[in-house]
Parts: sequence; structure tokens; C-alpha cells
Amino acid sequence: MTSTTRRSVLAGAALAASFAVAPAFAQAPTEIELFFPVPVDGQLARDMTALIKEFNEKNPAIKATPVYTGSYDETLIKTRAAMKAGKPPAAVIMSANFLLDLKIEGEIQKLDELIKADGKTNDAYMGQFFRALHGNAVLDRSVYGVPFHNSTPLLYVNAEHFKEAGLDPEKLPSNWEELAAAAKKVTKREGDRVTRWGIIAPSNYDYGGWILQALTQSNGGQWFNVDYGGEVYYDSPSMLGALTFWSDLVAKHKVHPAGVQAGGAVSTAFLSGQASMVLLSTGSLTHIRTNAKFPYKVAFVPRNVKNEVPIGGASLVIPTGVEGERRKAAWTLINWMTSPEKSGWWSRATGYFAPNMAAYDLPEMKEFIAKNPDAGIAVSQLAYAKPWFATYKTVPVRKAIEDELQAVLSGKKQPKEALVSAQKTADEIMKPYVEQTALKLPTN
Amino acid sequence: MADTVLTSGLARPQALRLAAWRPRRQTALAFGLLAPSLVLLTLFTYWPVAQVLWQALHNQIKIGGPQAYVGLANFTALFADAAFRKALANNLFYAFGTVIPSLVLALGFAMALARSSRVNALFRSLFFLPVLIPLVAAASIFLFIFLPNAGLLDYHLAKLAISGPNWLGDPDVALWSIMGLTIWKNAGYYMLFFLAGLQAVPADAYEAAILDGANPWQRLRYVTLPYLKPTIGFVMVIGLINVVTQVDHVFVLTKGGPSDSTNLLLFYVYQQAVESYDAGRAAAGTLVMLALLLAISASSLRTLERSFGEREP
Repeated sequence: MTSTTRRSVLAGAALAASFAVAPAFAQAPTEIELFFPVPVDGQLARDMTALIKEFNEKNPAIKATPVYTGSYDETLIKTRAAMKAGKPPAAVIMSANFLLDLKIEGEIQKLDELIKADGKTNDAYMGQFFRALHGNAVLDRSVYGVPFHNSTPLLYVNAEHFKEAGLDPEKLPSNWEELAAAAKKVTKREGDRVTRWGIIAPSNYDYGGWILQALTQSNGGQWFNVDYGGEVYYDSPSMLGALTFWSDLVAKHKVHPAGVQAGGAVSTAFLSGQASMVLLSTGSLTHIRTNAKFPYKVAFVPRNVKNEVPIGGASLVIPTGVEGERRKAAWTLINWMTSPEKSGWWSRATGYFAPNMAAYDLPEMKEFIAKNPDAGIAVSQLAYAKPWFATYKTVPVRKAIEDELQAVLSGKKQPKEALVSAQKTADEIMKPYVEQTALKLPTN
Repeated sequence: MADTVLTSGLARPQALRLAAWRPRRQTALAFGLLAPSLVLLTLFTYWPVAQVLWQALHNQIKIGGPQAYVGLANFTALFADAAFRKALANNLFYAFGTVIPSLVLALGFAMALARSSRVNALFRSLFFLPVLIPLVAAASIFLFIFLPNAGLLDYHLAKLAISGPNWLGDPDVALWSIMGLTIWKNAGYYMLFFLAGLQAVPADAYEAAILDGANPWQRLRYVTLPYLKPTIGFVMVIGLINVVTQVDHVFVLTKGGPSDSTNLLLFYVYQQAVESYDAGRAAAGTLVMLALLLAISASSLRTLERSFGEREP
């Protein structure tokens, strides 16, 4: 048996078990279940249980059950398995860049009717969330997801190392020129051996594509067509500049280690003082804040042309096939979870942004930001954020460029040939979609 | 159970002929007793196999549409995919690079620890320890060992003023690192079989070899190894099946990267099913893997039989 089928069987069994406990009396509350991933750490599973418990107490007509479903990827697998078994969960916290794929495959439903029933227009409804988050939630003018928690890449700097190297920790690198210069100054060598790296950025699958997207956008690039899921701009000057810059940090300036750096290894290198600067998600803020034994600073991702970064994070969706009372109950839950109070509470617990702008007007949030100015800087970068990379078959299309990125960082390929090859692979993967959409023309 | 049914049937040919049209009580009983496992096997083994066979011949033609019959298109696409060929080549390299060193190490350990003594018992348990750790847990331990700069390996190398390679992040090194973990994990397990196999080597064979003036190498080559042939064959089968069916460490350590350099067949199938959402190609890949496994088992089992035959002329 393959691991996939085994997984689906397990997911199915778990699901069957959760459905077995049906109430026998007539005026039973509507039972719904929420699939939720925990991308950061284990404590959050308990926080989520507390959150849902409070919801159930305040909404006696609904009984929501939180179902922990692992990572973002596993949540997608389990949701699809549950749908195939004919028992879709009422709501799922789904990685924001999977929404387009799910919409194309017809696996999540439009929320327009529910918004209309509440007497709102789509624009008014989405207006409560940061503008940068709309692109991954509103597809073809219909709302498919409600932003739940979000992030952007951020530059973390070890202030001690900066002082030591004669740099001003109040003036952090804001463009690529300054970044490369600062990285050279803080890098420490013993002969040929580097004992402290100037900068490290993660390049493992998923993280690498996201960071490269941040560099491409900071270079004026677009990476993909936000409005159409069949186009990526891998073989473009903005991307060539971004990839060459990253590759130069490794091969030319020798301030960044060669080969793939996994996200976890990057935060460890920063916390252990073996890297002076790192590019990591704002989702790591709480982790760094709790574990750093030295003063650190955060700043926007340095630019070459303009400040711009992609968003990351997750949205709440309702799978296809959830109807009637269950759908209404799911909608109530979604709106409760994304309200300013709950949004803010979740943000303080995790380090993610609260997508609901009103959350930042609440006194407890203002107090938190005053105490943790790094969280404030992270939020202000949202004004320069754009949608996260999402196309038809997002993951393999992203892997096409990540495989090449990894080859370039390992010194196996030159940036230009890597981008040509990535473009070719990506176009090949998206071909069926393109042929059935943009290239589907009247024949006579 | 099947044996009982068979022999009792043969013992009473007369009764069988008379009541051929009526299910015999014993057969019914046998099936009744087998039913629980049969039902489970059908539900969780044969039915999924049938589904995989069906899926391998079907795929989505219209995006978001239903599954339709596509003939062998999934297999054509599979073999045309460079990532699949890479995974196949990686898996072959990985098989040779892990099974043979594990075998040699296991044999070495077993021969060194064959005599029973308290020290040997301690070493046996030490070498067997990695087997007790689940592969996922072992991979998580190695994640720390291989961690760049701060990891166990790099920490000690730094003391010698050597900077180690990027163990899991360099496409030239990553598969070797994973192979190191596999050998560490499996050698102790195979040692167990060799320990048992060595008990079966008669002491007089060694005595005769010594009297004939055979040196230790000749004794190994002409006495120990021939007697161990069945064990080697058996361990080969287990080892080869392991390299196809176990990818937990790839999942934890590299996800097949960098640039597919550690991608193995089963992980490729996972990627097709989950990341690409291409159930048809995943099913086709599964069937190719199954065919490989069957071929390995069949050929190894035949070698096994032959070596058993040789021992008793």
C-alpha cells in the first residue's frame, strides 16, 4: 500500500469516528468540524481547542469540533480524503495559496451568497481585511476564503554583531547594495573556513520559492499573473536579477553558505549566533523573541527597485458539499474566528498578523505593539505586500523553480539557464489548464 | 488450516465424489474461520489493489471533471517524466549503496560477536539499538546531526578546523547522507540474521579447514560464506524491499531535494498523488514499484531455493 492510500484510510477512519457520535435527541445543535493545521508549534493545538470551546459556549445552537490535521500540506490531503469519502468538514483553515487550485478543481465553494444574506457586498466584507490579503481570497471576483492568519518575509538582524563590526544597528540595510556591504562586514572567517555567515535565507521546498518571490518583487518583478492561473514569469529580467543576487551572495561575495538551507536550520543559525542576518517569516517572530539571547532588530526585506513582499499564511474555506444548516453554522464560526478580538488574540499567541485591520485598534493590541515594536514593523510591511504565488497546480509549478534555485545555490547551474529550464517545466505543467482556458477558442 | 482441508479431502475420495455438489462441512468451517482475515484482507489489501489498477488506466481529461479511461497514457507520461527517471536511478543507486554495505557490516559484526560472552551481548544490543528506533524518529535525530554549523557532525568537525559539507543541502552529498542513515539503521537488524546463520555452520567444517592449512580469509571464503548463502539471500530480499518501501527519512530530511537528488520512487508517487494531484500517474508509479518488488522477491526467492538445494546434495 502506498503511504498516500494508507493516509487516506487513516483520515477516513478518524473521520468516521468523529461522525459516530451523533446526538439522539430532536433539538440537537448543528454539529460541524473544523480542520486546522499547526504550522508553527504544538502549543497552538491547545490554544485552538480553547478558542473553539469558547465558541461553543457562546453559540449553544452549534457544536463545533476542532480536528488537528498536521501541516498545511497534510490538511489539504485530509480535506480531500474526507471529501472523497463524502464527508467534507464544514470549515478548513487552508494555506492561502492552495485556494486557487481548490477553486479550479471545484472543491471549495463561493461565499458570496452568505455575505449577501448578511446584507453586505463582497467589497464591504473584504474591506475589513488588509488589502494585500484579497488576492489569495477573492478569485474571479468571488470570495472563496476568509483570511485567518498571515505573514510576510522579514529581515532579522543580530544587533550585537552589527555593533561589533562597526555598523549602526539603528540603520539596517534597506537595499541590496547595503545588504551585501553589511553582510561582508559581519561575516567572520578563520582562513578559508567561515565561522559566521553574513546572511542566510531558507531555500528548501516551499520556503525557497517564497523568499525568491520576495526578492523578485523587491526587484520590480511579478513572478506570476495574479489574475490568471496559467502564467508565470520565471524567464524574466526581474527574476534573473533576483536569482543572480542570491547566487552572488553565495559564490561571489561568499557571505551566504552554499546549497540548500532549511528553514529550521536558518532560525537555529541565527539564534546560535552563526548567522548575523536572516530572511525568515514574520511567523517566526514569537519563536525568535522567546529564544534570542541577544538584542535583535527586524526590518523590511531590502529592495533593489521597490519595497514589495508576498503574503503567506492561511484562510478559512468551506468545502463543496457542505449545505444547509451546516453551512450556516460554518459561516457563523468563520466570522467569529476572524472578528477583531479573536483575530488579535490568535495573533498575539502565534506571531502571525491579525488579518482583520480593526484588531489593531483594540487597546490590548496597542499595548502589545508598544511592548513589542518588532511586531509593529512586521505589520507595517503589509502595506507593501502582494498576493502569494498561486497558479494551476501551485506546488509542482513552484517546485519547477525551486529545483533550479537549489541547483544555482549549489553552483550546479548558471541563473539564466536555470530560469529558462524552470520556465519550460512550469509551462509544461500548466499546459492542460492553458489549453482549456486561455487557448480554448471558437473553432469556426 | 488449508492443509487440513486438503489432506482430509484426499483421504476420503469416495465421500467427495458423492457429495461434490454440496459444500462440505469442513470447507464451510474453514472459510468461516478464515472469514475475519479474508474480509479484512479484501477490504484493506485486495480492494485498494483493484482500485490502483483501475486508477492507473484512468485520469482527469477535463480539469475539475470526472475520471475517464485513458489507456496507457499515465504510463507514457510517467516514463516521459525526467523526475521519475531520476527517482528510479536514485533508487537503484540507493539500493546498491545501502544493501551491500549493510550486509558487509552486519556480517562483520556477527562474526566478531558470534561467541557468547557478556561483552559480546552488550555490543550486540548496542548494534541492535538503531533497529528499535522508528525511522521517523531516527530521521529527526539525524536532522540534528546533519544540521549545518550547529549540528553534531559540524560541531566536532569545527573543533578540527574542518568545515563539513552541507550534508543535506548539497545535491552531490545529500543522497550519501541519507544512505549513511539507512546503513546505520539496518546493519544491526541484518546482524541478527547472520548471528543465527552462523550457529548453523558446523564446527567440524572449520576444523577440517584449519587442518588443511586454510588461512582466515580462505576459511571465510570457502567455509563460512557457502554455509551462509541462504541467510545472505534472505537478508538481500528484506534489504531490497526496505529500500523501495521506506522513505520516512526522505520525507523528514529533504523532501526529495535538493533538485530531486534524494527523490526515491515511493516519495515520487507521494508527490504525484498529493502535490500534483495526479492520481493516475501516482497509480501508474505504484504499479511500476509493485512490479519491481515482485521481480526482486521472485528472483531472490529462487536464488534462495537453489542455495538450499546446494547444501544438501
